[in-house]
Amino acid sequence: MVWSASKIFVSFIEDALENTAALDLNSDTFKCALYDNDITPDNTAATANTLLNAGQWTQAGNEVADGTNWDAGGEPLTSVTFAPTAAVLKFDATDTPQGGATCTLANVYGAFVHDSSVGNQGVSFHYLGGVNGVTAGTFSVVWHGSGILTITLT
Amino acid sequence: MTAIISTIRDWYCPNCGLTDRTNEPLPHSRFHTCPKLGMLSAPMLPTTTKAKVEMNERQDYQGSEILTMDANNRPVMSIVTTRDNGTDALVFAPLATARGGA
Repeated sequence: MVWSASKIFVSFIEDALENTAALDLNSDTFKCALYDNDITPDNTAATANTLLNAGQWTQAGNEVADGTNWDAGGEPLTSVTFAPTAAVLKFDATDTPQGGATCTLANVYGAFVHDSSVGNQGVSFHYLGGVNGVTAGTFSVVWHGSGILTITLT
Repeated sequence: MTAIISTIRDWYCPNCGLTDRTNEPLPHSRFHTCPKLGMLSAPMLPTTTKAKVEMNERQDYQGSEILTMDANNRPVMSIVTTRDNGTDALVFAPLATARGGA
């Protein structure tokens, strides 16, 4: 098993609703880290294994970064919003580019969104559908038109 | 003596041929909805840059993923610009979803 789908972490929802962690989708700082295809993301993992550099999200040998322009630990999400529209709660941000002028990245298969204000706890992961990379250029993650994640209450 | 630096930049799309001009002193890029790339928002290139801009389809099953689709209903993975000295990539992330009801 490797990357196969995009999901919200169950523990993120549970910890928010149980007030186990002070997770705030409106005001915390979130980052997007990139990973290769050596991991098998699991959205049912316990909280401890949804943190950056824990469980499947161990950085060494798995995270893709260049240390300068796409930082280890991820690039920050900007203009983050979380609001309901009718019965759909949407978490969104502007597209996420690399921080520096140019970067070189290889074997990018997925993105890991985590709350860097609260112990780098995982929020969601996104399978990019295959191998991606960039050479001496700009790399941007374009979030879906409907947002980074949605929670639909029917 | 005062040096006058032009802030005018000319842009083109290597796929549909659209051209445009901007007058902006800060570094910037230019995008357009490209009919040759499935009506996706694609980068334009400075007229001084020779490059190709391509859309790449998702390489894996769609399954239950909620993806960005082009006008031909093909799942989009990325738009890659290939220059003589490197590449740029716009990578499209699927939506993560949860559904609940009582």
